[in-house]
Amino acid sequence: MSNLAPPTGDAAWRARERARRRREWWTQGTLALLLVALGVGLALNVTANLEARQIRSGFGFLADRAGFDIGETLIRYSAADDYLRAFAVGMLNTLRVALGGIVMATVIGVTVGLMRLSRHPLVAFLGTAHVEVYRNIPLIIQLLAIYLIITEMLPDASNAVSLGGAGLLSKSGLQIAVPAHGWAAAVAGLAAGAVAAVAARRALLARLTTLGASAAALAVGAGVALLAWVAVGLATGWSVPHLEGFSVEGGAALTPEFLALWLGLSLFTSASIAEIVRAGAQAVPRGQWDAAMALGLTRGQSISTVIFPQALRLAIPPLASQYMNLTKNSSLAVIIGYPDLVSIGNTSINQNGQALEVILIIMGVYLTLNLAISVLMNAVNARVTRAPQ
Amino acid sequence: MSIKHTLAPVALALGLAFAAAPAHAGKTLDAVKARGSVTCGVNTSAPGFSAADSQGRWTGLDVDFCRAVAAAVLGDASKVKFVPLNSQQRFSALQAGEIDVLSRNSTWTLTRDASLGVVFTGINYFDGQGFMVPKKLNVTDAKKFNNATVCVQAGTTSEKNVADWFGANNLKYKTVVFDTAEAIQSAFFSGRCQVYTTDMSDLAGARTKAPKPEDWVILPNVISKEPLGPSVRRGDDEWFQIVRWTHFAMLDAEENGLSQANVDAQKANSKDPTVQRLLGVSEDTGKLLGLDKEWAYRIVKQVGNYGESFERNLGPKTPLNLPRGVNNLWNKGGLMYSPPVR
Repeated sequence: MSNLAPPTGDAAWRARERARRRREWWTQGTLALLLVALGVGLALNVTANLEARQIRSGFGFLADRAGFDIGETLIRYSAADDYLRAFAVGMLNTLRVALGGIVMATVIGVTVGLMRLSRHPLVAFLGTAHVEVYRNIPLIIQLLAIYLIITEMLPDASNAVSLGGAGLLSKSGLQIAVPAHGWAAAVAGLAAGAVAAVAARRALLARLTTLGASAAALAVGAGVALLAWVAVGLATGWSVPHLEGFSVEGGAALTPEFLALWLGLSLFTSASIAEIVRAGAQAVPRGQWDAAMALGLTRGQSISTVIFPQALRLAIPPLASQYMNLTKNSSLAVIIGYPDLVSIGNTSINQNGQALEVILIIMGVYLTLNLAISVLMNAVNARVTRAPQ
Repeated sequence: MSIKHTLAPVALALGLAFAAAPAHAGKTLDAVKARGSVTCGVNTSAPGFSAADSQGRWTGLDVDFCRAVAAAVLGDASKVKFVPLNSQQRFSALQAGEIDVLSRNSTWTLTRDASLGVVFTGINYFDGQGFMVPKKLNVTDAKKFNNATVCVQAGTTSEKNVADWFGANNLKYKTVVFDTAEAIQSAFFSGRCQVYTTDMSDLAGARTKAPKPEDWVILPNVISKEPLGPSVRRGDDEWFQIVRWTHFAMLDAEENGLSQANVDAQKANSKDPTVQRLLGVSEDTGKLLGLDKEWAYRIVKQVGNYGESFERNLGPKTPLNLPRGVNNLWNKGGLMYSPPVR
């Protein structure tokens, strides 16, 4: 065959493909350049406008003294610390309520979802009622209602309800006795719990399904962790809440603001999670139920060993978006006075006037948190959807 | 609170990103005239300063000030659009151009004056920060507040003052921060906090809204200076002068005995050159401000002098029952002093 002959077959296809790639490279490269130019243009415009309006700009303020106090902090913080630390406090408070909310919403949601699948009419009705009530009332109203109930109904700190010497419940919130060496107890508890959970899972794998073993191991781990935590308390002494001056000192405190937000977010999101669980179970083909029955499994066994594991695969992606919603909804904290990231941001905007920078920080933090949830849930999804071995 | 105003900081951010050009000097006056109304940022609910009554009519010292600006600029004190703002929205709303004047019992501080892109035009109420507590606590001195829970509004000078004061007095305390006065008051009156701290005048106003006002006491401790006044955007000197001299005209009218009731008679008969000048009978002071001759006359006629506004909104005949005190004129033992209108 002559070298001058036009390319045919594979050669022709490869030539066309090369041309196509070149074209795509050019269009995409041009688009990327345009986007970068737009971004730079916007940034320059912002800077020029800020200067023209004589508004201070830049992130230098993060190193300035914040000068305001924050009601509840997970890390040491005082008014003398800088804005950066204040934002860290706010972010940790957001994280704390979001994580607490995700755990509680999942527990309630899965329980209610299974209740709705029940053939017992009362149980199914209670499940439906839960879903309809919490799904149909706006979250902001639920939060205000819970907060109002806590602050109106509970007694003053001076007449706090004693919970058998282990805690106090009042308008100042829920204070519970904790080991005097709080961190040591927490570390010991977590370590013991983790070891117990791993051991339990290994032992139970032979008797239960993978899912059953994991769930049981989690419960065992939690129980052992609690026992270890109490043991450290018994050995080293307790910090017991007591009235001092105007309010309750000692122990660990859950403020009314935290309680209201935690409860509100959990209940609201649990309604959607329950529906996801139910939808997942109902999406499993009818034939799977019939097959399980044909094998002689009871309804409970069918759900736990056949239906639920398959439902889980369908449930994980929508579950991930519920977790993200919960995290974002935690920004409603500001209306009931819980010092989350947005609340701290609001205060900062007004103390230093740098709205643009603060809003960028808030957006960045929420974006990062939700991307983290997304990555984590994708990993879980990849694990549950891979082919059985 | 509308979504629009909740989003003021976001709107500001977007505005800064996409706005073509910054405001030019003189632009505000033209915009106000073209629009036919003054857009005035006021407090959502601060009895005595700005609060809407049952008919939706705004009243208060700060509200009167907005009306005075409208009377001077547009000739009609009723041509004001009130925009209720909470403490975090106020400066963003002004920066973003959503309002022309911020008249919302805001404290004048260096940081605000020098870095927020706003500038204070004067002081229309000399205040100080204090504490309110339930009477049943039997506390008479704020220095006894050990371990107290304190309710405070987000984004206020109060938030910083309280940190300074408790720190300086070595007292432990906890704050609960809300973003609206209504939320704080409902939490405080329900007993969530033992202490409510803000400006003394605000405390007096809040107490009138309590289910039983006599159950709450305002302590004598004053922990800060809170000079409250209106502010405008930076970079528009013409508008700044108009707003600043509106306040001075109200003071000058009181000093010269001009009131809503007698201003017409005084305008017709007074031979006092100061009065003649202020009311535009002899010289035209308005021209220098970009206004007409009778700008100050209309303020007094339609709104009244400073003392009248004070008595009507804050004085002993109102539920707030605040004494005139340091807010009296300089020649009556107070701090209110106007440069000569000439």
